[in-house]
Amino acid sequence: MISLDTILIVTSGGLVLGAIYALMASGLAVVWTTLGIFNFAHGAFIAAGAYIGWQIAHADASGLGLVAGTLGTLLAMFVFGVLFHIALVRPFERRANIVAASVITTLAGATVIENVINLIWGPRSKQIGRMLDGDFSLGPIALSMNDLALVVIVVATLGLVGWFLGATRTGRSMRAVAQNREAAELMGLDVPRLYAAAFGLSAAMAGLAGIFIGSIRFMTPTMGADPLMKALIVVIFGGVARFTSPIYAALIIGMVEAFSTYFVGLYWTPAVLFALMMVVLVLKPAGLFGKHQRTL
Amino acid sequence: MRYDPPFHRSNGLTPAIAAIVVLAVFPLIFEASYLRHLMILAFVFAVVAASWDLSLGYGGLFNFAHVALFAVGIYTYGILAKTFGLNPWLAVLAAGPVAMIFAAAVALPVLRLDGIYVILVTIAFSQLIYQIIISQSQITGGTSGMVTLPPLSVDGYRFVKDGKIGYYYTGLVLLVAACIFLHLTVRSRVGRAIVALRDNKYYAISRGVAEGRTRLQTLCASALFTGIAGGFYGSYVRVASPDIFGLGSLALLLSILLVGGAGTIWGPVMAAFAITLLSEAIADLGAWRNIITALLIIVVMVFYPGGLWGLTQELREAAAVALSSLRARRRRRVLRMAREERLRTAERMIRTRYGAVAVADSGPATGQSGPPILMLHGNSACKEAFLHQFAAFRDNHRVIAFDLPGHGASDNADPEETYNVPAYADVAEDVLTELEVECPVVLGWSLGGYVALELTARAPSAYAGLAITGTSPLNVVPDDFARGYDPDSHVVLAGKQFLTLAEQKRFAGSATVPLSPESAFLHENFDRTDGRTRYYMITKLSVVDWPRQMRMLRAGAIPFAVLNGADDPFLDHAYIAGLPYGSLWTGAPCDVEEGAHAPFFNRPDAFNTAFSRFLQEGCCQRESSR
Repeated sequence: MISLDTILIVTSGGLVLGAIYALMASGLAVVWTTLGIFNFAHGAFIAAGAYIGWQIAHADASGLGLVAGTLGTLLAMFVFGVLFHIALVRPFERRANIVAASVITTLAGATVIENVINLIWGPRSKQIGRMLDGDFSLGPIALSMNDLALVVIVVATLGLVGWFLGATRTGRSMRAVAQNREAAELMGLDVPRLYAAAFGLSAAMAGLAGIFIGSIRFMTPTMGADPLMKALIVVIFGGVARFTSPIYAALIIGMVEAFSTYFVGLYWTPAVLFALMMVVLVLKPAGLFGKHQRTL
Repeated sequence: MRYDPPFHRSNGLTPAIAAIVVLAVFPLIFEASYLRHLMILAFVFAVVAASWDLSLGYGGLFNFAHVALFAVGIYTYGILAKTFGLNPWLAVLAAGPVAMIFAAAVALPVLRLDGIYVILVTIAFSQLIYQIIISQSQITGGTSGMVTLPPLSVDGYRFVKDGKIGYYYTGLVLLVAACIFLHLTVRSRVGRAIVALRDNKYYAISRGVAEGRTRLQTLCASALFTGIAGGFYGSYVRVASPDIFGLGSLALLLSILLVGGAGTIWGPVMAAFAITLLSEAIADLGAWRNIITALLIIVVMVFYPGGLWGLTQELREAAAVALSSLRARRRRRVLRMAREERLRTAERMIRTRYGAVAVADSGPATGQSGPPILMLHGNSACKEAFLHQFAAFRDNHRVIAFDLPGHGASDNADPEETYNVPAYADVAEDVLTELEVECPVVLGWSLGGYVALELTARAPSAYAGLAITGTSPLNVVPDDFARGYDPDSHVVLAGKQFLTLAEQKRFAGSATVPLSPESAFLHENFDRTDGRTRYYMITKLSVVDWPRQMRMLRAGAIPFAVLNGADDPFLDHAYIAGLPYGSLWTGAPCDVEEGAHAPFFNRPDAFNTAFSRFLQEGCCQRESSR
């Protein structure tokens, strides 16, 4: 018999998972919707963000503290994303095979990032450490303060990004480019710069996700592979019809994973997720909340 | 119109045989077991990458589960040969069909998906297989995999003995078999459907290509030898490990495919050897090895999308062009006397806007003075083709002929700018201006006929007449091509850059005359002609203003004669007779009895009689009407 407590514990676990997935997946979706390509280096971006954050924040390295680490990571990853776009994606713009070519170059880029991390920081695992200590409990719900802070920051970040896309001029320009590149160009928008900005924004979000993962798990140079797969599942599952679609999907996937791990077992959970994703793709290729048109 | 010679009659035969011989002799020369080990790996990777190219390159279908199909082959071998104790040879072969079954399972969800979604589903599928293999540790060994798989042997002779010689030759046989299979598949009806779906999906579907079924066939065909290669690999390394699902093997196989060149079978095969050896050469560099491999992929993708195969083709073209230039120079220096002897006319070089061309000009007529005649030769020919006309008309006319750029004793020229009908007409204008010839009659043969039509259509009143031979006027290109010409492989040969010797002989035999001591010099032209002239001329047919030519003919703006051979193997005489002509000399095409594609050469007397009458009656009428 499953008690209510169990369900609540599993649910709160799913919530934390869902929050991290939401951050990763919406970062991935920003690039997908704007440029129409899939960035396979997103997982490597997460790893790079985690290591940069560790380098700035951790006492064994620069030791400037977590706030400086987070801000530094956001800035560094934004610049890195822009450069990545210029080097690996822009050469194929306007070519017929951009989708395939960028799959290959971003995969290769991911390999380069992973190995460069390996060269700089070595293969030994590291940890950024918790943002906050202590536990938080409200009735039967019990979370660590770290998890709570994580959820709060993710919600705030996504809200900020949502506001940026919906209310600022740059954000609205990005959405316009996503909807119709030619029309946006005719209206005088600087499309290459907006593409680069979208890549930078996506990379910064990946960097933040990297810091969160580094705070609760061990970091290795290949730590991005698993989050990339999860983000992939989430984005496909939810579609990218709106900025919010991957967020809902992330919550659902987080819950499915938490419950599946508890009831079906750790080994079968990834298989369950991939099977779920394939079913969605076959029945509704544009995702659960998807429409045919790409938009942000 | 379809022309697709079997492999043994294509240009690929010699290099393929040479490669097989080299690979067969290789282990007899290099006995180092480690080098053979690398070659065996290269065989396996070549098979897997070339098979992958069937779906990725030919089909444009991004099946990222291909590496998983290879892994399925390995695990099938492991389970069948070790767990069930099946004969290892049977297990290797069985790995193929099993991989095909998995490929069919991949195909089902992607039947109706496109682009990025295919990539995503296949990645998901591959992860699904990976997760299943990991979770079923009692069957597959889980994360640690299966070890000590049975090796291959015959009659107790273990193939790993004598420096892995048995595995080496088995791998070579596997590679050859896979190449034959892939080549036949690509050339088959299914192969055409695969490419058609990639190039223009909706047109292919509307022409009756079943998209779903073709995708299923693509993936299954690409899985067959991938699975067998997996089984062979399993029997060789004797381990089935889930590591094969990692990004490392994906990147390795993908780089082989891309560095080799997508959309070819041979590119990935060549690249498999290059990349396996390169990646082994830099194996000591640790993390740098992966970085270098990845950067190599990026550099090739960004700067050289054609890959190794594209490079080979470019080298081949450069060599062929250099050779034909050398032959042109030799013609100018050494063979000039023979040429001048043939036409009994001095040759001079004239500089035009597209380079220097060799011109034969018989000079002012000695007898009764008719209009000057400009003769334009055909595809892969030379001005000496008109030797009988020079002999017959030089007394009463000034006769001029020149070698088109890239032909005969003329220079090779920039292919983009020069090797097309309008540029040839420009060259003819330059020659006429340089020689100060006014109001000539233009005789054009085949390709030269189109040049003549283009030249005269620009200013019909500047020419005394126009005669075409071996040419069919066209209105709408390329549609009328199928009507003006009998659908025959020769139209394809006329635009093919690299002809094999057999094709040269066949094309020369029917485009000019069969080989004889008298016509040998026409056949030799194929060695000299810049192959790019054929390719660019055909691909640039659309830059010609065809309707302008037709308007000129319909308006009767110029005295016009059609002097085709009655037995021309290419032309559709009914189509030519049925076109609307404003003033066609004698009111109908004058076909030369028993004349072939070059009637002025194989039936010179009959042709010259007709042409001479046109010069006197057709062109004079015009002068009297002025």
